[in-house]
Formats: sequence, C-alpha cells, structure tokens
Amino acid sequence: MPEQLKITKSLDPVIADIKEWPIYKLSQNKDSFLKEVIDLTIDSALSKFPSNNELHSEIKNILYQEKIRLTKTPWKSDSPSERIFWSEIKRKILECDKIEDEEQKHTSDLEILREILTFYGNEMVANFDPKKYKIAQKVLPFVFGRLMNASPGEKLKFLFASDKSIYDKFKITGPIDHIRNLAKKGTVIVVPTHFSNIDSPTIGFVIDIIGLPAMTYGAGINLFTIGILSRWLNDLGAYKLDRRRKNYIYLEFLRNYSKIAISRGAHSLFFPGGTRSRSGQIEKKLKLGLLGTALEAQRNNLQNFNEEVAKKVFIVPVVLNYHYIIEADSLISQHLSYEGKEQFIDEAEKISSSYKLLKTILKVLTANPGMTVSFAPPMDVIGNDVDFEGNSINNIGQKVEIKDYFSFNGKMTEDKQRDMVYTELLGKKIVDKFLTYNTVLSSHIVAFVAFELIKKQFNNLSIYQLLRIPTDEIEIDEFEFELEVSNIRQKLLDLYAEGKILMSERLKDADIDQVIKHGLKNLGVYHAQMPLIKNSSNNIITQDLKLLYFYHNRLLGYGLEKHFE
Amino acid sequence: MDLKSTLNKYGVVGAGSFGIAIANLLAENGEVLLYARTEEQVKEINEKHFSRGYELNPGIKAIDNLKLIAQECQLIFPIIPSDNFVDFLDEIAPYLSPAHILIHGTKGLYTPKQLNTDTDIIKEEIYTMSELIQLKTGVIRVGCLAGPNLASELADKQPAATVIASKFNEVIKEGQNALTSNRFQVYGSNDILGIELAGVLKNYIAIASGMLSGLGYGENARALLITRGMGELIYIAKSLGASEKAFLGLAGIGDLIATCNSEKSRNFRVGYYLAKGKKIDEIIKEIGEVAEGIKTLQIVKLLQRYGFKAPIAEVLYRIIFEDFPIQKGINLLMSFTVSKDAEYI
Repeated sequence: MPEQLKITKSLDPVIADIKEWPIYKLSQNKDSFLKEVIDLTIDSALSKFPSNNELHSEIKNILYQEKIRLTKTPWKSDSPSERIFWSEIKRKILECDKIEDEEQKHTSDLEILREILTFYGNEMVANFDPKKYKIAQKVLPFVFGRLMNASPGEKLKFLFASDKSIYDKFKITGPIDHIRNLAKKGTVIVVPTHFSNIDSPTIGFVIDIIGLPAMTYGAGINLFTIGILSRWLNDLGAYKLDRRRKNYIYLEFLRNYSKIAISRGAHSLFFPGGTRSRSGQIEKKLKLGLLGTALEAQRNNLQNFNEEVAKKVFIVPVVLNYHYIIEADSLISQHLSYEGKEQFIDEAEKISSSYKLLKTILKVLTANPGMTVSFAPPMDVIGNDVDFEGNSINNIGQKVEIKDYFSFNGKMTEDKQRDMVYTELLGKKIVDKFLTYNTVLSSHIVAFVAFELIKKQFNNLSIYQLLRIPTDEIEIDEFEFELEVSNIRQKLLDLYAEGKILMSERLKDADIDQVIKHGLKNLGVYHAQMPLIKNSSNNIITQDLKLLYFYHNRLLGYGLEKHFE
Repeated sequence: MDLKSTLNKYGVVGAGSFGIAIANLLAENGEVLLYARTEEQVKEINEKHFSRGYELNPGIKAIDNLKLIAQECQLIFPIIPSDNFVDFLDEIAPYLSPAHILIHGTKGLYTPKQLNTDTDIIKEEIYTMSELIQLKTGVIRVGCLAGPNLASELADKQPAATVIASKFNEVIKEGQNALTSNRFQVYGSNDILGIELAGVLKNYIAIASGMLSGLGYGENARALLITRGMGELIYIAKSLGASEKAFLGLAGIGDLIATCNSEKSRNFRVGYYLAKGKKIDEIIKEIGEVAEGIKTLQIVKLLQRYGFKAPIAEVLYRIIFEDFPIQKGINLLMSFTVSKDAEYI
C-alpha cells in the first residue's frame, strides 16, 4: 500500500540550480528547438501530402479554416495582427497559383508552409523565466496558505487566520522518492486525471512541493487573455494551444513540439483524457495523440543516441480527488446532452479573466478540507513497471530493454503503426492505474450510495427519466442509508486489501456515522443546491439530482453498482 | 539477453502434421529450426527427413531445445495442441525478449479455471492463445495463423491460403515474408480476436458435421449446419467483443467449410463416432487426445450468461455430456422457430 506522505514543507529540489532544469535549457535554445519542430513537421506534411497538388490544396485548406476560426469563433485572445498575417498568406497563395513551373510552384508552397509553421511556433512556444518562477514559488504558498485557513463562510478572515500550513491541505501519496530519482535519470511525463480547471494549478503546485523541476505543458490559448495570468503562465513554461485549430499541419506541429521537447529532456505534463471528464467518471478512454509523443520521443532517443546517453522516458499517472468540483453542474449537463458524441465543447472560454480563475481557486481551496493527489508507480512508455534505478521490469518480472520493443532481428526500426499499438497498450495501463490509485473520499461514498438507492427506488426509469424526477419526491431512509454506506465501505475495504483502490484515512478508519457526517458536509459544499442533505426527520434528501449523479459516477468502474441490483 | 539471430531464420515449435507443413513452407524462404519433443523424432527428421508420414525439406533442422530456438530465431511459430500451450510458454518464457515475434497456429482457448458445470466464469478469464502468450511471456508482438489449411493438402503442395492476424502490421509483414510462396498465399488482418475466435469456435460445428455424416445425411443438411452454425458463431464472438468481419473471410467461413468437410479432422471424427453410437470417453481414448471442439463446447456453455443464442452448442453439449439421444437433438434443432436469414449482418 502506498503510504501517505506527511509533508510539512517543500522537499528539496531534485536539481538545485534552476538553470540546470531541462525546461530552462529548452527555453534558452528556443530557436534551434523551433527549427527542429518545423523541419520535422514539414517532413510529415510531405509524406502526408506527397504530390504538389495535395500540398498546395492543404495549404489553401489551412487558410480557409483559419479564416473561419477568426470570423466564426473569434476569441479575445486572437491577436489583431493575425488577420494581417493570414491576408498576407492569402496573397502569397494567389501568387503561387499563377506559377506554371511545377518545381517553382512547389518551392513556393514550401516557403508558405514554413512561414505558417513559424507563425504557429512563435505563438505556441513557452518561455521559462527562473526569476519569475522563484517569485511564484515564494508567493503562492503564502497566498494559498492564507486562503485555505479560512473555513467556509469566513472568507474575509483568511488574512488573519492562524498559521496553519498549506501543506496540510494536500494529501500526497505515492512513491515520491522513486519519482524524484527518475527525474534525475530521465524524462518524467506526469499524466493526471482531469475533472476541473483547478487541476493544472493543483498539480503544478504539487510538483513543486515534491521538488521536481517545473514541467512544460500545454494550456488553452484562451487562458492567456488577461495580463498577469497570461504572463505568469508563459513565464512558468506553458505553451499555448488553440483548440479551435483542427487542421492536420497544426496538430502535427503540436505533436512534434511535444515530442521534441520530451526528446530534449523536458519533463512534461499533460492530461491524457484530453478535456475534463464530463460525466464525473474516471477517464476510460484516453486521447492517444499526445501520449504517443512520449513513446516516439523514447524511440527517437534510442535510435539517435547511444544507450548511455539516450534518456529514458517515464510515465507517472496521477489521480486528483476533491470533495467539490466547481464546474460540476455545467460538466454533467454537457455530458447528458452530448452523451455518446465526440464533441468539443469549449466551456473554458467562460473563464475570461485571471480574476475569475483566482476566485475559482480561492473558492475551491477554502471549500476543500483535503485534496488528495495520488501518484501511481512510474512506468516506461510500454507500460512496464520500472525499478528505483529506472530499469524496465515486464509483466513476468524480467528486466527488459526498451529498444527490444522497437527491434527485430537486431535492428531498430521506425514504424508508426507499431508505435500506435504500443500507445494503445500504454493508454490501457494508465486507465488501470487511474482506477487503482483513485483515493475514495467520504463524499464519494455518500454520493454513490445515495444515487444508487434512488435509482433502485425508481428502477423502471431510464437514467434520463430518473434525473427529471422532482427532488421533493426523493427521500432515503437514514437507517437504510447508513446500512448501505457501511456495506459499500466494506466492499471498498476488500478492494483496498486486494490493491485495487485507495481510500482516505477517514473513510478507512472512522465510525460509519462520522464518515457519513463528513461526507454530507463536504460533498459539493459550495453548490447553490446541495447534492445531499438531511431533512428534519434525519432522512437523506437531495436538492440537485444531476449533481449527485456527477459525484456518484466517480465510483463507477469497480462493479460496486451490482450490489444494488 | 544474447540474441545471435540472423536474417531469415525461423523457429517452429511442434512437429505434428501442421507444424511440419508450416516448417516446409518456411524452408522455402529461409533456414528453419523445428522443435520436436522426443529425441527419436529429432533423429528421424534430421536423418531421414521424414516424419509422421510426411516428407520434410532437408533445410529443416530439428532440435529438442527451446532455449536454442529462442536464441537463434526471432520469428517463432508455435504450432502445438492447446493443452500443451501453457507448459510450452512457461518453458520458453525465460529465453524470450520483447524483440521476438510469435505467430501461433493453435486453435484453442485457455482458462485457468476447471471446466465443471458449476464453474463460474467471466469472459476476462478466457484467453485466446495470443493473449496467453502476452500473459505468460514478455512478447507483445504476437500474431496467429488461421484459415483452411489441412496439413495433408499442404504436404501435397496443393494451392492454399492462410490469414495472419495481428494488431501489428509489422508482424503480418514478417509472417508474409516468411510464408508466402507460389502455392501459398498469406492474407493479413488486424482483427486478431475475431480471427482467433473464428478458428476456435468452428471446431464444435465440425463435430456436428461429423455427426450428420455418421447419420448418413447429405449436403443439404451440411449446408444448413454450416450457414446456421456460422450465424451462431458470430453471436458468440460478438458477445465476447469481436466483430463479424473475420467470420466472413478465409479464417471464418473458409475454415468452417474445409473442416466440416474433412473426414480426417479430429473434431469431425468425434461427431462421426458419436453418431455411430460410441461413447465420448471411448472416442477420446481412440483419438488419443481431446478434440478441441469438446473443450470449446464446455466454454461456450459456461459463457451463456452473456445472453447469446447458441442452440447448436446447447444441443451438442447435451448429447455429449448428458446422454441426450442424437436423433432427438437433431429434431430439437429443426423445430426451432425460424427467424430471418443471415440476421447477424
């Protein structure tokens, strides 16, 4: 069982000198880095669009899509100079149309392509400023710490609260020493579950607490709109993504950006689920695009450098758990209306200012008595366990060499389709780890049991019908509720004993009425309508069934619902 | 691990009739090391180039050492009965690395559970042979061979084709390079689960086909069995997570037709003797090993909790394990309410 760390102060940084951090070096070598990404993307474009005509029409297609983006879905973050840039590209494409000589035309297309990629690169590229980072390191714990000392309803007192440490707020579990050691030996890719906009600041902060060097990560360009936040994000190493852009070349550029960054040793962070989980359930399927860049970077390193130098890439899944997710309402609504459809819903745009984001963080931090951050044991890019020194150990306990997975008859080869199959396997392993290292909180169990009991009461209704039942029709007997919470806790304890899930200390050890009391108090504490409360006769009622459903979904994937059938 | 492999060196594990046929095909494209279990058979193959009634290409070298096979060959074809598969994997696992590719030709399912009537089994506890390889060894790049490949006809150098299925295109390509010749075509498929299930499930239909022959029925009845049987297999495969596509190809309908018409097939013979009034224990004793179709039936029976319709399997099971009279069984099948034709597509 992973033990919970008692952290009372930040651990010593793994690499003391910030100027030795990979992210800083990447930032220092920005030009050569971007050139490598651009060259690689041109190669991919040429193999995807082999004929001159195909390439030419793809470039036209990019222009067309960019124009649509700027006119149909304009964002505040769009720079005014962009329109000028794309008009200029249009002029060049029209000129290129007139060229008759095929070879000349192709050269002109390649020039235009390079210009577009340079534009993308300059927009995307992260900066990393050690001075700003150090300031953030000093200021944030102070601000956070103060914020969190206020209990709910006492927000104004936070400035004067007693000196409780911010570190009490984060319950960090996992093989931290192991991960720290690997960060010295290779490149660490942190892949957390994603439920809330505050996941990025939370994980960023925790990474600093445990002494890992800052990580590079992609942040939606819409977060870069307002002054302080924009500069902060960029100075702390975030690169900008524009999720409206769907053209092949941009997506390929993004993948190559990540790949080369990892290849150059930059520890990276990305959310493999892509966007936040709408349903509240732990991600079952991952987006394999960015994940694949870790694998390709590993293969590149092995092919291009000798074994001594080739840096190994390590994957570290992380599960974040809160009692309260501020966006729960909009997430579950989107889930219910878009169920089954792969639609991108850009709700993040609504957080239009850093003030609003800070307010969100404040609310969540003050509301959540404990956020658990559970690190799973690190893996290699195939999904094998790795030992303390970073050696890969396969499913039957053999020490294996990563290069063997990419070799046949003694030769390493590049094979995109093979990479894809391995990435699928890795994705499955990550999903397994998410389930295994999910720390169940008291609020999760009360939400789960309450919703399942309601479902049972109305067992002839579909989920959509059920969610439309007026809440005053719903009441759960307190004794039945207590009995079932106790039953489900026992089932969780069994799973815990088998190493299939984690539980908070309270949920494991406290009396059941204490678990229920704590769960009810903290479940979605700041929603306008409470997911669960007790009524005057001590029975359990809900004010918002959809929210209850959302928090309940957190415990799907373990077969616990069978208990209520 | 020290891998002294050279190009075009193939390993075959299993010197039964099909193993020999595959070794002969491979020998046309490279060196072949063939693993045989007994010293006598190794000697026989290396000295006489003849075994089990089949001639062997003189380029084939037989050995009884799995370690050597793993060290010398990175592409290995296990062609052994499913009952021996786990033991084989346990034995060879220490010598395999992720650089190996394994393409098996074994049609069977594995479960660590005992197959009793009261066994509680879920589909995650059923492994295809390729899944078993990934479970028991460090090899990830696996594939399977399936299709109408009756060993005796391959030995006669008659034209034939097979399918290599693997999630990895690389495995298919290496397998094709190794096996293709002007009398043997090799198709590829990424649907390995579908192809493996098609190869396994068809075995009990072959038992039923032998039964029809034993009863003296003709081609109408057999065609009825094959087509309805295929529908049934597709239902089972779908409930285990595969798609119907594989069943419409060489490894599905192709193999089904060949096996249901082959009097030499072990499964066919089981059905034939049952129809002639022999008891299952006698038949097994006579044939020498358990026909794969019998085990498949037991597994299908235990998986019925997944709600698929499998009347042929149900009736066969009752005939074999519960002494249900054959003629009554066939009457029962014929009395099923007829639904739409080919409704599984």
